[in-house]
Amino acid sequence: MGGIIGLDRRGFLALLGSATMTSGAGPALAQAAPRKGGILRVSSPANPSSLDPATGGSGSDHVFLYTMFDTLVAFDYASLRAVPGLAESWSYPEPATLVLNIRPGVLFHDATPCDAAAVKFNLDRNRKDERSNIRSDLETVTDVTVSGPNQVTLKLSQPDTALPLILSDRAGMMCSPKALRERGKDHDRNPVGAGPWKFVRWADAEKIVVTRNEQYWQPGRPYLDGVELSIITEVNTGLRSVIAGQNDFIYFLSPQQKPVIDRSKGLVSVIGPTLYCVQLYLNWGRPPLNDLRVRQALNYGVDREEFNKATMNGLSEPAAITLPTAHWAHDKEMAKYYPYNPDKARALVAEAGYKDGIDLNFVGFSDQRSQQRQEVLMEQYRKVGIRLRFTNGTVAEMSAAFLSDKRGDGLLSAWTGRADPTLTYQLLFGAGAYYNASRVEAVPEIGPALRATRATEDVDGRRQAFARLQRLVTENALLVPLVFQFELDAHSQRVKGYRPNLLGKPKFEDVYLDG
Amino acid sequence: MIGRRLLQIVPVIMLATFVVFGLLQLVPGDIAVTLAGENASDARIVQIRQSYGLDRPFLVQYASWLWNALHLDLSRSYLSNEPVLDQILHRFPTSLLIVGGALTISLVIGIPLGILAATRPGSRLDTTVTSLASLGVALPNFWLAMILVATFALSFHWFPATGAVALGKDPGLALWHATLPSLALAAGGVAEVVRQLRSALIEILSSQYVRTLRAKGLSPASILWKHGLKNVSVTLLTVIGLLVNRLLGATVVVEAVFAIPGMGSLIVHAAIHKDFPVVQGVVLAMVVIVICLNLLIDVLYTILDPRVGLR
Repeated sequence: MGGIIGLDRRGFLALLGSATMTSGAGPALAQAAPRKGGILRVSSPANPSSLDPATGGSGSDHVFLYTMFDTLVAFDYASLRAVPGLAESWSYPEPATLVLNIRPGVLFHDATPCDAAAVKFNLDRNRKDERSNIRSDLETVTDVTVSGPNQVTLKLSQPDTALPLILSDRAGMMCSPKALRERGKDHDRNPVGAGPWKFVRWADAEKIVVTRNEQYWQPGRPYLDGVELSIITEVNTGLRSVIAGQNDFIYFLSPQQKPVIDRSKGLVSVIGPTLYCVQLYLNWGRPPLNDLRVRQALNYGVDREEFNKATMNGLSEPAAITLPTAHWAHDKEMAKYYPYNPDKARALVAEAGYKDGIDLNFVGFSDQRSQQRQEVLMEQYRKVGIRLRFTNGTVAEMSAAFLSDKRGDGLLSAWTGRADPTLTYQLLFGAGAYYNASRVEAVPEIGPALRATRATEDVDGRRQAFARLQRLVTENALLVPLVFQFELDAHSQRVKGYRPNLLGKPKFEDVYLDG
Repeated sequence: MIGRRLLQIVPVIMLATFVVFGLLQLVPGDIAVTLAGENASDARIVQIRQSYGLDRPFLVQYASWLWNALHLDLSRSYLSNEPVLDQILHRFPTSLLIVGGALTISLVIGIPLGILAATRPGSRLDTTVTSLASLGVALPNFWLAMILVATFALSFHWFPATGAVALGKDPGLALWHATLPSLALAAGGVAEVVRQLRSALIEILSSQYVRTLRAKGLSPASILWKHGLKNVSVTLLTVIGLLVNRLLGATVVVEAVFAIPGMGSLIVHAAIHKDFPVVQGVVLAMVVIVICLNLLIDVLYTILDPRVGLR
């Protein structure tokens, strides 16, 4: 079994080049044709917040949602470019108008049609319903009209070419309008979508079961008769369940578990790059982090390579900007902006008026891995005169403390990523955005630069717009990206056809069981 | 007597639930913010607080909960919206099976070992048993659980590494799943039973009336079975009572190691996510179980030893 612990540069580049790496599986090309049948048993690390795409709020919900909900737009696994989903095509007849052509003949699990009227119902609900957590995703949409039996037209407040990929996320997951009307809030726990599998039951914090949708629109799909997702919050226990053969698949493993997978006979590990970025969020709206020199010192003062080795077993990509190397909008130039330079960091701290060093109060999480990261950072920053202190608690509590209650100068957490990078930048740096603790734009150019990323449909044009936006973010040191964590999954050898995606949230649509 | 004891239960339950309710109020963070999700408006958060009654004064909230609990309505989970009583009734049998299994193992192994050690005090056998008992007390449940999983589930594949099956669904499979968790829980129980039984039995066997019995020519077996064990039965009963209480608490850790959906994992999940009605409901259930068990043991005392009056 090939291991990539302590990846050297060559190994790392090889991993990025191949986008994913599978060990212990044997030659991929030797796989037989997909077989139909069988139940995939999955160990999942978290109970979903809701099974309604609009009302849920956790990034770990997607793995459950993908089984039951198809999205209007899908994405290419390796590059995250938009590809047809329930919408078989789309166009911008005018810069501020998006037309979606809905695939005819698609049915929800309750046999009602997933047509233009259903799409309008869903989009209106997602952008207006008070229980919707994704209203901001569709904030540029001012009106949705049914312009044909299988066509909807979205009127926009401004040109927005980010929308197709936004519709590959929660906002594009279509629920049955009939079920939503009849079930109300109960749809959170008893959902009806148009995805490859139908909801069967959810035993809270225990198990979610879905079964094959016989009326699925893709011929011959899905391969699996069903998926059983057991909620095992302790990932070591979850991994043991796969080693013992009680489950077939586990995801969201930590890098420290790679040696365990390698030692286990009959287990296949899958590694792939993701958007998941471990980072320091900063509140630049007030002292002391309203001083650019202090923020820059935080970026120069961290040794990301060392952080990767010490906390991630080498299983991550050191991060200097918001998008990883594999992403289509990654900017190579900006990625070199903050090399590790402790002398410069120390000088910047002194220049900012803190001759004896500076004390910063951060908030973080109390789990073991977070505390290990904190210890490494505290030690690294101590050497450049930055004394970090962490107040810890649960993820929900401390995230809310920093992002809502404005406690702390910064937060050590992660960004799970969004399919379209505009949304990532908007949510992290836009004025009033939830993940922007200061709630203000650091520099006035951010707003126009954000709008520019939505203005053109052309990929090269968008890439240039993102480069300009990333330059603003990097030069102003609006956060401290640390590492992009690789997706690490493990499965038994009978699981075939699985491919990780750059979003880092497993989908099982291509999976089949052998034997 | 039983009526009076039952009346004593009321203030105990009220005190325990009041303390837990109070502690939960001290937990930092706002469940309304969590339930409202990201990007929620302040109005939405206020609306959630109102709909769950979180904006009412503490004592009013507690009184409302208590009144509903008296009518067997333990409220609904904030997260899943399921009735808390249903969740407890669904999960309790799983935990009970593990605890019952651990108690059985503790007694089946602990009693013979305790007798053997007590009847041969100072012997090599006694030293070995006493040492093993000390080890059993010292071993952390979670560590032993992982060793058992690594050996019997991952290496030999004799038992499942995780999960549970309802006893009513498939008794054989349920017992098979419960074996390793019960063994992990039982280590401390075996040690406790051995130590207490040995110590009590040695005291009895060295008492004057036993010496008299020996002098009268009774066989050692007769002395042990008719007089020794009968006299230690009250001690054993006390140990069992304490053991069950401890085992119920220990399920929190063992259920996490084996991914068992029982009462322990239920309260941990609820506490982490501030699902207060569930925490409160599980605490109430645990308190009632412990009190009822203690009451049962008090009644059994009087049967085993009529000198213990029902005062």
